[in-house]
Amino acid sequence: MRRFILQRLASIVVTLWLLATIVFLLVNVLPGDVGRQILGPFAPQVEVDAFNTRLGTDKPLLEQYFQSIKRIFTLDFGDSYQSGTSVLDIILPALGRSGKLALLAFVITIPISIAAGIYAARRQDKFADRVVVNAGLASSSIPEFVTAALLLSVFAVHWKLGKAFANPPAGTSLFGQLEYLLLPALAMVFAYFGYIARMTRAGVISALMSDYTRTATMKGLSSNQVMRRHILRNALAPTITVISVQIGYLIGGIIGVEKVFNYAGLGSTMLSAVGAKDIPVLQGAVLLVGIVYMFSTLLADLLIAYLNPRVRLEVTR
Amino acid sequence: MSFTDQPSGTGMPPTIATETVMAPVAPDASPSERKQARRENWRLIRKRPAFILGCAIVFVWVVCAILGNRITPHHPLDFRGPINVSPSWDYLFGTDKTGRDVLSRVMAGARDVLKIAPLAAIIGVVCGVIVGMFMGYLGGVLDLVASRIVESFLALPTVLIGLLAITTLGNSSWVVIGVIATLFTPIVARTVRSAVLAERDLDYVTSAKLRGEGKLFIMFREILPNVTGPIIVELTVRIGYAVFTVATLSFLGAGPPPPSPDWGAQVSDNYNSIVAGFWWTTFFPALAIASLVIAANLIADSVQSVVEAS
Repeated sequence: MRRFILQRLASIVVTLWLLATIVFLLVNVLPGDVGRQILGPFAPQVEVDAFNTRLGTDKPLLEQYFQSIKRIFTLDFGDSYQSGTSVLDIILPALGRSGKLALLAFVITIPISIAAGIYAARRQDKFADRVVVNAGLASSSIPEFVTAALLLSVFAVHWKLGKAFANPPAGTSLFGQLEYLLLPALAMVFAYFGYIARMTRAGVISALMSDYTRTATMKGLSSNQVMRRHILRNALAPTITVISVQIGYLIGGIIGVEKVFNYAGLGSTMLSAVGAKDIPVLQGAVLLVGIVYMFSTLLADLLIAYLNPRVRLEVTR
Repeated sequence: MSFTDQPSGTGMPPTIATETVMAPVAPDASPSERKQARRENWRLIRKRPAFILGCAIVFVWVVCAILGNRITPHHPLDFRGPINVSPSWDYLFGTDKTGRDVLSRVMAGARDVLKIAPLAAIIGVVCGVIVGMFMGYLGGVLDLVASRIVESFLALPTVLIGLLAITTLGNSSWVVIGVIATLFTPIVARTVRSAVLAERDLDYVTSAKLRGEGKLFIMFREILPNVTGPIIVELTVRIGYAVFTVATLSFLGAGPPPPSPDWGAQVSDNYNSIVAGFWWTTFFPALAIASLVIAANLIADSVQSVVEAS
């Protein structure tokens, strides 16, 4: 097990390095004077030079490259062009607020979609199964901001349910915040329900056809016992992988939802950085999301190995 | 509608039974057998209700995109109408805050996304096929290094990279196309690579090698025709994702500038007035995006389930 974790950590280091390289290339493809780009064509040359010296953008490219590689491993993403404060101080609180929204969405989605997946698998090819599969396909293929806009027009405006602005006033209790976050979270529930339900359904169907399920049934276990002890343990592995992979996409989709509900999370921070051409903030956000994504997939692999002894043996061998 | 072009010979009612009798194609089947299997697949795909529905929706939007102003009830940019009228017989989808007809704008707005999304997906798939083919067929160190790079690309969130790219490279549809195509390439490459790995030790490849054919010839003339199944599936799936991403990016500000009736841009323009009760200016473009993405996914799903069953 320890060897498995070490191997995965090593591959994460390599992937992070590549990630930093890709982002560095993207930021530096345009041979340009960063100071000139930010300060505009009418700024005096002296100010532009001072700006470049302060940010280190006047150093040779190779040096800047090593700098940016160092940054991803030290989590020091430099200073914002816009405000001069540390990028991490800007991104982390925003990521926390987005995380709160994402967590609420997950807490609602996971039980519903796993239950729906199991339900559909037990009624394979019957009407209820078709409904779950097709509703899942439709709801998860619609962009999150579209669902958010549709929910906003139906719930917040027509039925006067939920809040149209997701930012709770300062000092709102945790329970009170839920009311504000419910509609945006619901928009994300729609987006992720489909993937998780379909993956659970596929896993349960293949487990239902397996020999060990037949053995367990013939042993005289009730169908609930078979489901809990034998099928779910095996069927949930792909579901866990899908959930962990979704976390990266979730952060991409959350930007649109945050914009619709005017929520001050990572998305809003990034959008204001786009407007101000604040590249360090954007760069930091992309790298941080990459890091979150990689550790969530690592966590998922560990969870799968924990649930399934067969996987555990395979990786330690 | 006549675009389903049912050949007159196959006037069979769409029975479910025909879907389960697909004979699996043996890996060493002769070229004509494979061709026949492909034709059989295409016949099965065409019969699926999901595929027909998806094509019908796409067809409607393609007609709107091509004909544009010529079939819209009003001009999409004409702001001389009444302001903020709710849906009525004169203005089926209502009018927006500057007096433009929402229905006309939704119809004309199909154009941008239908130009950008398929192009991005096709470029991504073509590059992915080339990269995946080299990775799978040549193998070795190249495959090892490329696999690592592919893996780290998967950690890149598309929408975030899109935002970063339009900030550094400027806001144009070519940047959006470039970002989507670049991020799709490794995903497609991974699929193609595993398909090629399954093919490269088969007899026809070995005999081509013994004949003294070049590597490029074997890859693109011998193997490629035999891995079209997964590539077609990947293309349809990628078009769905591309529509999704283009709409999201244009909502976030990477779309065409304001007077354009692009759907994402319309939602972005108007979502703030939902709370004031003007829901129709956001609702209908949002519904249009949803319908196109669902249609693309219905097509992709039908193609996928038929190809993977064979």
